[in-house]
Amino acid sequence: MTWALPLPVVLPLLAAAVATAGDHVLPRRAADAIAVVGAASSFAFALVVMLESERHVQLHWFGGWKPHGDAAIGIAFAADPLGAGMAALATGLVLASVLYSWSFTREGARPYDVLLLCFGGAMAGFSLTGDVFNMFVWFELMGVSAYALAGFQIKELGPLQGAVNFAVTNTVGAYMILMGIALLYARTGALNLAQIGHGLAGHRPDGLVVLALTLLVCGFLVKAAIVPFHLWLADAHAVAPAPVCLLFSGAMVALGLLGVTRCYWTVFEGAFGAEHAHDVRAVLLALGVVTALVGAAMAFLQRHLKRLLAYSTISHMGIVLVGIALLDQKSLGGAADMVLSHGLLKGALFLCSGIVLLRFQDVDELRLHGRGRELPVVGVMYGLGAVALTGLPYVGTYLGHAQIDEGATLDHIEWVQPLLMLAAGISGGAILRSGARVFLGWGPKQDPLLSPEPAESSPEHDASYPALLAVTAVVLALGLVASVVPGLGQRVEHAAGVARDRTAYVDLVLHGIQRPAPARLPFVVEPTATESLLYGTGGLLIAVTLALVGLYRRRLPDAVRAPVGAVLGPPARVAKLVHSGVIGDYVMWITVGTAVVGGVWAILLH
Amino acid sequence: MTRRVRIWIFLPALAGLAALLVWGYLGIPGFGDYHGPYGFVLDRLATPLRHMDNVVNATTYDIRGFDTLGEEFILFAAVIGVVMLLRDTDEKPEMRDEVESDLVRVFGTLAVGGAILVGLWLVAFGFVTPGGGFQGGVAIAGGAALVYLVAGYRAFAAFGDEQVLDPIKGVGAGGYVVIGLAALVSGLPYLTNLFSGGAVGTVWSGGSAGFVNWAAGMEVAAANLILYAEFLNQYIVPIARRS
Repeated sequence: MTWALPLPVVLPLLAAAVATAGDHVLPRRAADAIAVVGAASSFAFALVVMLESERHVQLHWFGGWKPHGDAAIGIAFAADPLGAGMAALATGLVLASVLYSWSFTREGARPYDVLLLCFGGAMAGFSLTGDVFNMFVWFELMGVSAYALAGFQIKELGPLQGAVNFAVTNTVGAYMILMGIALLYARTGALNLAQIGHGLAGHRPDGLVVLALTLLVCGFLVKAAIVPFHLWLADAHAVAPAPVCLLFSGAMVALGLLGVTRCYWTVFEGAFGAEHAHDVRAVLLALGVVTALVGAAMAFLQRHLKRLLAYSTISHMGIVLVGIALLDQKSLGGAADMVLSHGLLKGALFLCSGIVLLRFQDVDELRLHGRGRELPVVGVMYGLGAVALTGLPYVGTYLGHAQIDEGATLDHIEWVQPLLMLAAGISGGAILRSGARVFLGWGPKQDPLLSPEPAESSPEHDASYPALLAVTAVVLALGLVASVVPGLGQRVEHAAGVARDRTAYVDLVLHGIQRPAPARLPFVVEPTATESLLYGTGGLLIAVTLALVGLYRRRLPDAVRAPVGAVLGPPARVAKLVHSGVIGDYVMWITVGTAVVGGVWAILLH
Repeated sequence: MTRRVRIWIFLPALAGLAALLVWGYLGIPGFGDYHGPYGFVLDRLATPLRHMDNVVNATTYDIRGFDTLGEEFILFAAVIGVVMLLRDTDEKPEMRDEVESDLVRVFGTLAVGGAILVGLWLVAFGFVTPGGGFQGGVAIAGGAALVYLVAGYRAFAAFGDEQVLDPIKGVGAGGYVVIGLAALVSGLPYLTNLFSGGAVGTVWSGGSAGFVNWAAGMEVAAANLILYAEFLNQYIVPIARRS
């Protein structure tokens, strides 16, 4: 079945080309059909590749250029279950986005659909490739499509600024990645991931290798929106159309973390793994925990629904990074599961916000106070999505939390688990609060704590609410059941194991030696540790409490309110100040982050 | 955050990053001290296996042709993005032709023909002599853009017509994908060169790479022309409104 590997990438690109070629002659329905068929076929073949990859890593040498000796000549797609699963998630969300957009936006529809298809092909290519330069090519295509999509509502000033911030910061990230690739090529003379990893393994890492690691990891962390590289994300999400936010939050940011995973386990693990793994872990873990908490706190301070959801995405990417940073098979599996469930749930929440925007021409929590009662179904879906993101046992993101917890326990890093619970609780509380205010009319209509935002107008559309609701409901339902899908836990763990096994990967890619297939994995839902049940329940309790405090804190006695305000007020003001919206600040923080990460690693790893 | 605070946080970070970069870059091989293996392998294989003299073209359109497919779609998506973002300024102004020198018209017109011919030659013989589809496409579009300089906006408008350029761009981009799929349908890996047998140094030597070059050339030429037309419009419309 290795012939299927290029199809998730090239079929949507072909559909994009056909739609462009026929732009002036095809009737609208035919062009719509081309977009849907392109996205659906891409998703179908990504699923095929994913199912096949469970038994064997799938390998496809483009142009038939197989390696000579230890040297790769051409470009390979090497689909391990982790990458193939990511490709399936990304292309599936593209399909949902195309279907939702069908009635969400009409004006400028053709170029918009074409860009969605290019975006989807690029995300699939990034997930499947086994070549570092090819990875960069798809990363760039992903970026170019995404910048234009973010600026879709160009007539207003906000989208222009959001898209420009997005483009500038991510281009800085891309440039760092390109420098990292050049350094690796200078050292190993190779672009194939397996060959680079093979070339670096066993040699004492020097300045060049440490710098290459820093540049690649920080470049990918810009895309993954990890603090302090995260500042572009809320601006881009605030202005992009809802079905585009679905792709940004659901798949694109997670691809940055897939890049970090590949980078470490396939390329650098051989150089650092033996004696320095804990140093790599320390830095990534710190970034992950800080991101989880800062993102959650910032989410709580927003009243613009899409901006609020965007900060909660930053928080969840921090949690995923913790799962990766523990460098444990269990927790990496948890990270993968978190990406899947979070992508679907957060995507569904963005789609809900899109329906709200179409109906009321506004997504401001305070101005929409109680008006959401007209949309009860959307309100229920919004609430369910919020609850499922808190890690409530056996719902939504729970499995990911449980697996990360388990990995942390194995590595004796137990302090991280309550912090992750707190982060999920705070951002879940922010979403619940906004939902209660908009859809139930709870709490006051004014709140000076929350940052004001300019109003937004919705795109021209011929909205069919049943269609929008149906797409949203399907995405949400998949996200809700993600923790109780029989066999999913074992499969992501297996995927994590394969992604971590550099020697098996090198044997396959460079020498064509396939390891024997694993025993068939069972289809069961494994019980989780008791502490995970407690942390999960705790996450929901924190969320509900904070949501109520956020709504009704004026009813608290002054003796409680004053000291809490005195403690939390100044950091909240600093946090708002740092998230300034000024592009110069953003690039400054990227520079600071890279210098600090690189500096710490230079001291620890050398 | 004031400018002063920003600078004072930025400068130490920049110094630290610069130190890291110097430390890291000290590890790259000296000038001319290339150890391979990738470059050597490509150099040895391109001509014997693909009958292509230009190893750069063999690398970009055959051995690493899949990268170029991605690159082609980066340009494709970028141009679509520009068209989408500038969609509200679709008006086509009526402009008087302002070029009055006959000398400029005569020699300029010759230059247009020359540039387009050079472009076509770069596309067709890219694998024999320096050149290639991407490069030739840029030259062709550049030749057409010269029309604006030698004959004015009205004459250029005929070259910037999206009704004509969109199909060319779509067929070029889609053609590249289809050439790859043709190999897949034949039971070979994607983008396998299906007919490489021509004599070294002739226009037939590259096999499918020749078609790939033409597909890229079409896409790149049309995409660049759309870009020129859009940007020129941004420049011309305000002038036309004022006069």
